[in-house]
Amino acid sequence: MTTAVSSLFFYVLSALALIFALRVVSSPRLFRAAVALMAVLGATAGFYLLLGAEFLAAIQLLVYVGGIVVLIVFVVMLTGSLGQMEDRTSFARKAVAALGALNFFVPVAGVFYFADLPLIQAVDAEALPGAKTIGELFLSFGSEGYVTAFELISVLLLAALVGSLVVARKVELKEEVQ
Amino acid sequence: MTDFLISVAPTFKHWLILSAALFAIGLYGVLARKNAISILMSIELMLNSAVFNLVVFNRYVAPEGADGQVMAIFVIAVAAAEVVVGMAIFVSLFSRRKTLDVTRVASLKD
Repeated sequence: MTTAVSSLFFYVLSALALIFALRVVSSPRLFRAAVALMAVLGATAGFYLLLGAEFLAAIQLLVYVGGIVVLIVFVVMLTGSLGQMEDRTSFARKAVAALGALNFFVPVAGVFYFADLPLIQAVDAEALPGAKTIGELFLSFGSEGYVTAFELISVLLLAALVGSLVVARKVELKEEVQ
Repeated sequence: MTDFLISVAPTFKHWLILSAALFAIGLYGVLARKNAISILMSIELMLNSAVFNLVVFNRYVAPEGADGQVMAIFVIAVAAAEVVVGMAIFVSLFSRRKTLDVTRVASLKD
């Protein structure tokens, strides 16, 4: 019964994710595309729950849906393109883009579908390790730990914060100084 | 109905093909769109499907460890930093050029 329910959830969420992803790349209004992006990221959080990664689902909702999409919506409003339509892209451009995307998708999906991947055997795990294991991995030294990368990523976030402040500063201010 | 749902229960291949499809849609967006914000949104789609792949491999290849999830959190943090810098560049670009159309912002090409 649990398998049936999670299977049903998988197909419903996949359909939603694919429909809204197509809307992200095709909607001429930027604001609607941002809302569709929010739906895709929310559906991905649902996938993480189905895969048993609850902590990552929470991170996905907090950082992606609550942070990144809100930032995108802010910039859509700041640049005055709220009601502005995206310029109509030509049919040739769309055709070339679709060809490029299919050129990626068909071989990759073919390999996934037909290849007999030797590494992978079906594992019956109810859930992946939770926040406790992830936290220990983040803070442990040695060959298994990620403490160096964890410290570096905080430096990266600080640098991104300061850099974005410098880049987005008022232009007039700079000219006055000169 | 229940038997049918159990017989089509998602396996490793289903997850991987779903994530490849999401990535391909993002790739289409990067190639077809002209507005810089839409291109960044398509890149977010692609990054999201890559993170998704890491979690799928964590679940089906090494479910006793959490390394895939740790990598996923790193990628999410880098994506957040990328969006912050990208949005700052777009705001600055818009205040100078009054446009975000990437086909018209090509002065580096000349």
